[in-house]
Amino acid sequence: MAALSNLKECPPLSTDPNLTMRQTHSPELKRYPQIRLNSELMASHTAAGQRFYGAQSFLPVDEGVLKRITRIFFDAGFWESLEEARGAKSREQAPLIARAGDLIAQIMGLVNGLKLKIFPHTQGLSAERIAQFVETGDWLNSNVRCLAWHLHIFKLAVAGLDDVVRIYTRDSSTVAAAVLKSPLQTEITCMAWRPLCSAQIVIGCRQGLCFWNVETAMHLGRTNAPSQIFRHPASLPITSLQWNKDGTQLATTSIGDRSVIIWQTDNGLMQPLKRLGPPFSLLKWSPDNEWLFAATVDRVFRVWNCHKRWTTERWVCNGGYVQTACWSPCGRFLLFVSSAEPILYRLQFVQMKLGDSCSSEKEVLPIADLNACSTGIDGNSALIGGPAQQMAWDPHGNYLVISFKSTNSIAVFRTYIQKFEIKISAAYSLSGETAAERPSFICFQPLYKENDRSVLTIAWSSGRIQYHAFD
Amino acid sequence: MSASSSSNACKLLLLGRGMRATLLCVAIQFLLLTVFLLSVNFTLLHPLAWVTGTLGLVASWYTWFASIPLVIAVVLYGVSLCQQHLWERPYCPTRYRWLLNHGPRKLLFLAAHILVGFLTAWLYTGYLHTDYQHLRYKCYGQDCVSAYHVYLLGMGITAGICYFASVHMRHEVSIEFPIVEQSRGERLRELLYASLSRSLFRSLLPTISYTLAFWLLGPLVCRKLSHFLSVDLDERLEGFFGVATNVRLLFYGWLLTAQILSNMHLMHCFYGMLLSEDIPLVVAKQRAPFVHEQEVTVVAGLGVFNVYVVQCLAAHYFYKLAWRKDSTQRAEIYQLTEPGNRPANWRALCDQCLSILGSFTEELTESMQKISVLKGAQSLPVPPKTIESTNASLMAEKLLLRQYNQMHGIRPIVSPAQEAAVERPVNGIRHVPNWCERVSTQIEGVLQRLLKRVPGIVYFFNEQEGAKTAYLLTNSLPVVYISQALAQVCVASLKEDRYGVVQNDLPAIIKALNKLQGELQKLSSVIGSLRAPSTAFNVLHCAVRRSLYNICNSFGDYLGDLLPPGEEVRQLQDLIYQE
Repeated sequence: MAALSNLKECPPLSTDPNLTMRQTHSPELKRYPQIRLNSELMASHTAAGQRFYGAQSFLPVDEGVLKRITRIFFDAGFWESLEEARGAKSREQAPLIARAGDLIAQIMGLVNGLKLKIFPHTQGLSAERIAQFVETGDWLNSNVRCLAWHLHIFKLAVAGLDDVVRIYTRDSSTVAAAVLKSPLQTEITCMAWRPLCSAQIVIGCRQGLCFWNVETAMHLGRTNAPSQIFRHPASLPITSLQWNKDGTQLATTSIGDRSVIIWQTDNGLMQPLKRLGPPFSLLKWSPDNEWLFAATVDRVFRVWNCHKRWTTERWVCNGGYVQTACWSPCGRFLLFVSSAEPILYRLQFVQMKLGDSCSSEKEVLPIADLNACSTGIDGNSALIGGPAQQMAWDPHGNYLVISFKSTNSIAVFRTYIQKFEIKISAAYSLSGETAAERPSFICFQPLYKENDRSVLTIAWSSGRIQYHAFD
Repeated sequence: MSASSSSNACKLLLLGRGMRATLLCVAIQFLLLTVFLLSVNFTLLHPLAWVTGTLGLVASWYTWFASIPLVIAVVLYGVSLCQQHLWERPYCPTRYRWLLNHGPRKLLFLAAHILVGFLTAWLYTGYLHTDYQHLRYKCYGQDCVSAYHVYLLGMGITAGICYFASVHMRHEVSIEFPIVEQSRGERLRELLYASLSRSLFRSLLPTISYTLAFWLLGPLVCRKLSHFLSVDLDERLEGFFGVATNVRLLFYGWLLTAQILSNMHLMHCFYGMLLSEDIPLVVAKQRAPFVHEQEVTVVAGLGVFNVYVVQCLAAHYFYKLAWRKDSTQRAEIYQLTEPGNRPANWRALCDQCLSILGSFTEELTESMQKISVLKGAQSLPVPPKTIESTNASLMAEKLLLRQYNQMHGIRPIVSPAQEAAVERPVNGIRHVPNWCERVSTQIEGVLQRLLKRVPGIVYFFNEQEGAKTAYLLTNSLPVVYISQALAQVCVASLKEDRYGVVQNDLPAIIKALNKLQGELQKLSSVIGSLRAPSTAFNVLHCAVRRSLYNICNSFGDYLGDLLPPGEEVRQLQDLIYQE
């Protein structure tokens, strides 16, 4: 096997004066909105801190234990009232009720344990478990949780830690960004603008799918609501979603569900693609919609052929689960990295025609070694590599960008796509403003009439959004 | 090929599919019988005997002979279902017209439901315990009417009526294209699992309702039957506890209902599934000798207006063709044909699509004029041009207020100005009606008012508001596919149309789509208050918007050249660059 491309020759961008010069003097990037989400988040926190709550001016009253539990039951539900019944205050005032609460909690625990033994996939999905499988780096604590570019016009949606999605346009520096905020939209994991629509965005979150029609007059402070909300049939959080290219079908997955769901959002119908095996975690539709890649929370991943009656192929990786994957712009190659080993793999979807016969030989081949190494010549500089976090391929197919879980730099590879082969070589690395800044989310801006240059958008853990233009 | 011969060729094809669906329905009866027998004969300790015994029963001569009536009923049911799929869908403005057009067919279909329900119950009871098997049984040496048997037969009939009432009574049968086109085997498997599991829950309410009804009326029916058959009365199911505590009977009843409901649902789905499969259409007919004479073009398929299914299938085919990657058939659309090197394929397709879109928009506009809320908005006085700009917001507010008032039935305090009633004099001479005309008009008005007070007249003979709009929206599936396909063919022409055959028609296509989009936009404000199906409206509105966006986004730079400068171009540019 030929030597794999690796990160040893991946110098920081600052070491190449030509590239740095071109970056700092890109006139088109100056028109992009300057986003620093941390300041907005801090402002909203401060505002919340200074907010006057009416309840502060009222004196607490002494309620009886039963009355208090009943009130909490109607205010916050069964589990909260059970907690209240078992609390120290209730235990002191009415030990009998507290003991009854303990008994009920034990019985519920036993029932729940039994249920989980029989149906292990029904366990509640904690935020930690979601964070394990989403592509966003440090999803739990990062200021930015997701980015989504509009496919046809200049609109960037940024989902923040505060469960608010802000929509930026070219003139967002002068006009406040539109804000999508709803109590029915928490723990955002993914989002996507609908193709062939100017203003519809769908947001995947704990509650399901929130559809918004982004109007120009949506600003902070106005009460808004999603135009539609679709819940997962098993009320599970959505962890990955993708539209097909004509915007008629939306594919979603949840890490608690063993099926990929295809929604027809206009009439609210859906069809699950059920398969035996572990639940699905990640979805990637090939650019021409011929293939649908779906990774699971285990070693298995599947690829559906959407043009051939949705037949599926099952693949198994060496260990771990597929952490991230991306399609080449031509739709012939799929690259993926598993969580267990820092190796970039390639899967080829090229039909070879020999005379009248047609064969599609598919095999998984390693193409790059992503093991961590030092980026500088002296060896003291920052490390790059390790287990991959996220990947993005530029729309021209010339650059592949990879972020990592344990190191803070982003690796940029040059790619050469041929008919049956791709070649890959390390180009340079990108780092944050400070050593502590980590990439949270990376994506490329789609190409359209006004923008024919590949622009990488990087959301750093600090909440800063950086744009990096490629040649 | 003429329109009628295309229609006949397609009908023949669909009839063949209907026959296949009927065969599938017959086959599924034996599978359902096996499931039923496996459920009722379950023995935990002897699993092998349980399975072999059940299979032996299904394969026995008794089953083959006893199931003949049910098979005949299923075939009748299938024929009725197939006929409804292939029937023309006329617009019925009043309930009376609806009864005239649909009444006999619906009655026949109800009879088919009752027959299938009854015969299923009759066949299944034959495999149960002797108490349930026959209408007569020996009770203390005397012949008695078996109340258990009556209960189960009644349950079968009730299940059939329930399914008809919930699915077919008010709604027309229609095909649904699957979201994901899987293989037939996979679809059958999923359909079977989903149908069986869902019917277990769906049968609960009919079982409970029927059991309550049987508790009240069952003894009366049994008494009548015993008189009729001159046998003794069975008193086992008399009284509430007699019925409620008979767990085995209730279980059989529930299982039987679940089987019948899933049976009917499966039959309904089989027809939908087989009829929605792609039909072999072509873009252009082969002119070479010995080619298949019966081949139908997409244009001909789209022109089969009297069979809704065929039009849907052709539109769906066109939609798939337009979005397929590297489609050779799409390339045929842009080709020049001999003789004359003219774009005959594109010309025919474009004309047919524009004709369908245009006539749909026209009918929709016409139907919307009868909706009082929209009519009210249109009848607002046009402000003088001099104050147009200053009063625009005021007018918009007035319009919204009037729409709101009309929607909620709020009448104005002051009676509206009778501008419409005052006839404008022709050539300055005003016509004054003579006494005879005045009296006849008054008598006519009084008679109309009197007639409307007769109970049932308005209900049966008055056209409901928005009925035509609802009808158009319900049958708008071909328009949904055609608009998207046409837009995509135009977009693909940027790369694939070597001779520029599409470009001359772009203005007409954009205008047609924009006009439809405008009408749907108007309708969107009142759709909630109409009886029109909001889902169908949403699907159509989104499809037309997307199509318009697709075409305008691709030809955005040339919109100024394609359309005359004005409001329309500005509207379309707003649609694309809504920032």
